Amino acid sequence: MTDRRSRNLTLLLALGLLLMTVPMQESIHQLRPHVFDPERKTRRASAINVGPMPAVIAALGGFRTVAADMLWLRVERDWHGGNWWALPSLLDGVTQLDPHFILAWQVYGWHLAYNLHAEAETKVDKRYYLDGGIRALEGAVDANPDNWEMIFELGWTLFDRAHDMHRAAEYFYRADQFPEAKSYTTRLYYRCFERTLDIPRLVEALEYAKNRHTDPYSPDDVQHQVIVSDNYRFWITDNHLEDRDKHREIIARENTARAQRSVDFYLYPDNPYWDVCPHCGLPSPEGSEFCSAYGHPMKPSSGSSRSPGESRPPAEATSI
Amino acid sequence: MGQLAFGIGLLVAIVVLAITHRLWAPAMGHGGASTWRIAKITVAEARRRRVVQAVVVLVLLILLSMTVFSYLNPREQARMIISGGLSAITVFGILLAIFVAAFLIPQELETRTVYAVLSKPVRRFEFVLGKYLGALIILAAIMTIMTVVLVAVLLVMDHFVPDLTYSTFEPNLANVVFAAVMSYFAVAVLSAYIVLISTVSSTAMTVIASFIIWAIGSLQSQIHDLAAGAETVSTKWFFTMFYWLVPPLENFDFRHEVSNFMQVSYKAGIDAAGVGILYIIVVLLVASVFFNDRQV
Repeated sequence: MTDRRSRNLTLLLALGLLLMTVPMQESIHQLRPHVFDPERKTRRASAINVGPMPAVIAALGGFRTVAADMLWLRVERDWHGGNWWALPSLLDGVTQLDPHFILAWQVYGWHLAYNLHAEAETKVDKRYYLDGGIRALEGAVDANPDNWEMIFELGWTLFDRAHDMHRAAEYFYRADQFPEAKSYTTRLYYRCFERTLDIPRLVEALEYAKNRHTDPYSPDDVQHQVIVSDNYRFWITDNHLEDRDKHREIIARENTARAQRSVDFYLYPDNPYWDVCPHCGLPSPEGSEFCSAYGHPMKPSSGSSRSPGESRPPAEATSI
Repeated sequence: MGQLAFGIGLLVAIVVLAITHRLWAPAMGHGGASTWRIAKITVAEARRRRVVQAVVVLVLLILLSMTVFSYLNPREQARMIISGGLSAITVFGILLAIFVAAFLIPQELETRTVYAVLSKPVRRFEFVLGKYLGALIILAAIMTIMTVVLVAVLLVMDHFVPDLTYSTFEPNLANVVFAAVMSYFAVAVLSAYIVLISTVSSTAMTVIASFIIWAIGSLQSQIHDLAAGAETVSTKWFFTMFYWLVPPLENFDFRHEVSNFMQVSYKAGIDAAGVGILYIIVVLLVASVFFNDRQV
């Protein structure tokens, strides 16, 4: 056999062996989507609206996680030094370098939606930081769809900060499907409908909560069942579903909380909760032109055309 | 598609091995012995290099110094030590691979000791393989020491760092060791590429090219993205071919998952090891062809 022929056969053997790696490489792509799925990475990049260049630079040599750690140490320093306004850009860098750094995402969303939102002086600034926090957490959920804590965190921020209860309910329900989710996730799911007085879904969610976390040997499950039974008794056995005074009280409490947070309803104009009857202060079912309790005619109010304050409940309805 | 490629590849490999069996079958016995002797000499040479010992001491100091982040909460401390420690192991492992493997063949050529070796009944492939195995042994020893120190640091810290209600240290030691083993595969694949380059270029050029290959190999997923998102067929082909030619270093990089306490896919690790071994064989075959063609 000539040298040339043997050389060609060796190269052919090399090519054959290289082809044999194809199915294994495809399997790796499927098993590690957070590394090899371009759609998942692109979605995250667009969610936080920044270019991928810093991440690419840090990726040279596989230094992404270490670079994220270094920035995280700066976050710690600035946090304890009180330099709060510098943190968003640092946290953005950390989460871009390491999109699976859960604590960094949690701090990022929380810092924008709570601290900077509270520190901001104008409503426009408050809206900017609250929206920024929610956007950051949406990016976190996109990057970590298998992490229940991240989904819960977004639900909680929508529930507690933005008072966007319908979206919060969606995320609580999604988080609750994970076996490791805590029982308070289930309870927060029906709390969302309690606060929006979405009665049919509240009943459904209470039934759902009763059938979750039923292990009699788990203290957490026992406590969950006690709380849910109390709430179930209050709403269904004691029949507060039609209790208009109770409804007014809930609306007033919710209005007060939103006012304290400066979360005006024009931020989320499509939230049906704010379709409140100007006569009695009760909410109307989504899409209805009449107040559900007394059939008062309501002003047609579709989100974008509504100006701030137009469909705000009258003063007497918000006071208990 | 993948299964078809595997079938074609396997068929080609079997056919070629069948055609050439008269060449390689007789060399299987004595070839193994001479390869092993060259590997042992390579290990002995590498042990004498001061740069290797200096790097080991440096990494050990870095690993021990990672215990200073006591102001962070326990989980963050664990993350810092794991990601920093695994990165130190990988980065210094790769640096050592570059400085060990890049000198293997060019130095033999420059000092002309290769003539003494090749004048004996040693095939060029056995010489390349022996040199490569020697480098792998020395790298395995060093990376094992570094991994043992990292695990010891984590165990000691786990004992001394007080847990908080919302944050515990709890290092995932099995995953840490798994990530370190996968880093070793990355180093092994990169070493094979370095040996390939060293068969056709000088030491300085090999070192420079090794750094470039390391950087490109670490961008494996980005190249995959470029291929997936290419708008024209020619661009797609170009990036796809490029993707299959660069060392698949990101396959072996589990530092990210381990330091974030994510679930680690051991199946992906086994697949990556399979891909790595096949890449090493492919690259060493090509290296032996290049070394055969070289006028020595």
